Amino acid sequence: MADEFDLILDKCIDRINHGENLEKCLADYPAYADRLEPMLKAVTKTKAAYAFVPSDDAKRTARQKLYSALERRRYPSFWQRIAQPRLAWVSAISIIVLLVVSLVVLRPILWQETSEIPDLPIINIPSADADGNFIFMVSDDVNAIDEFNTVNVTIEKVWLLKTGEPEQWVEFTPSTQTFDLAQLPGDTTQALWQGNVPLGEYSRVVIEVSSVTGTLISTEQTIEIKLPSDKLQVKIPFVVSADSVTSFTYDLTVVKTGNTQDGGKYLLKPQAGESGASQVPLNKPESPNEGKGQGEPKK
Amino acid sequence: MAFKLPHSASEETKNNEAQLVALYEEYFDKIARYVYVHIGDRSESEDIASEVFLKALKSIKTYRDTGSPMQAWLFKIAHNLVVDHLRKVSRIKTVPIDTVEIVDKQDPVEAVERKMEMEKVGAAMVELTEEQREVLRLRFFGGLTSREAADVLQKSDGAVREMQRAALEKLRQILGENKP
Repeated sequence: MADEFDLILDKCIDRINHGENLEKCLADYPAYADRLEPMLKAVTKTKAAYAFVPSDDAKRTARQKLYSALERRRYPSFWQRIAQPRLAWVSAISIIVLLVVSLVVLRPILWQETSEIPDLPIINIPSADADGNFIFMVSDDVNAIDEFNTVNVTIEKVWLLKTGEPEQWVEFTPSTQTFDLAQLPGDTTQALWQGNVPLGEYSRVVIEVSSVTGTLISTEQTIEIKLPSDKLQVKIPFVVSADSVTSFTYDLTVVKTGNTQDGGKYLLKPQAGESGASQVPLNKPESPNEGKGQGEPKK
Repeated sequence: MAFKLPHSASEETKNNEAQLVALYEEYFDKIARYVYVHIGDRSESEDIASEVFLKALKSIKTYRDTGSPMQAWLFKIAHNLVVDHLRKVSRIKTVPIDTVEIVDKQDPVEAVERKMEMEKVGAAMVELTEEQREVLRLRFFGGLTSREAADVLQKSDGAVREMQRAALEKLRQILGENKP
């Protein structure tokens, strides 16, 4: 009996919750109407006492927040996706693989001027020859060089890596070992050596620099310019053939690292992008002595 | 190797998200009202109701349709947020009648009558047990069925109906409604 009344009361409350008035419910259950009526009146009185409808503004704001949150869930940002635990390992592994590949691929480019020099047999060219098939020239690329009056560079030795079987170094000592790089801006070059080197293909040029000093325009102070390594190399393929003279221009530049006022420094670096070889046929040889020194056009 | 997107991968999660959005229109007001009966502050009630849906969305993966409807789950979240709120503001769990806002602006007499009515009902509610009060909040203000209220309270339907009847008997007496 009590269960039945509880069920009827429950149904009537549901109907009131859906907007019906209590009289309709009482009419449907006449046998229980007397007992139901005061209880349903208590229901309506209680509901009325706390009648509260949230403002339209509040509902709109809440709706916007919900939809924005839903949007973020469905289309998470790149970094949110990366941060997901399932992707975190994949991301970490991908980054490591990328780093390793970058190191392997970019190392020869990034560190070519200081990378290891292979230990190979050396062919020494003991003397220069004004009619030789190879001219070694230097030039500078504009960077911090215009801050200097003079940049005196001393090159002790030059090595050319001859490819083939076996690979070997061709070594010579420049006829002009010390030169002022500040006097060789842009396309201006200076020949340091001409001589005969073995015919064939070459892949690398290495210079051994013993000292670099510069005089600053601003303070007229002479400072030491640092070197990333005493041996600087560029990896550029070129050919020395029987029917032409090959001129190789080795481009150097001075770059500023950090703030020189606060203990920063200047650095001498090879410029692989600006270096390179050119060939002139032997029937119209280019004499190394013509215009030797400053003023030679670059390759 | 294709990686599933963490949120859109599961069809079930997608369906639940859609269901939650659909429930927003029907239940935002009810949840706000349910919270209001607890804390007596309209603005806070609106904020908490908004928070209920955001929290539900955040935890949507934990919701499993095990026969317990989603609206019951929303009221469980609402209840937890109310408890957190009351703990924060160190209020008692019944409506602070003296501070209940009256927003009827058109008629001051009506407003005063309304406030008196609220005080009377509020005082009557205090006489009920906490479980009975919660049944009435869920049924009258949350608009849940007794089955859904039973899910929230983790009771049987019969127990909820019984508590509901006992609560109304007591309210009727206190509010002076005519005896049968």
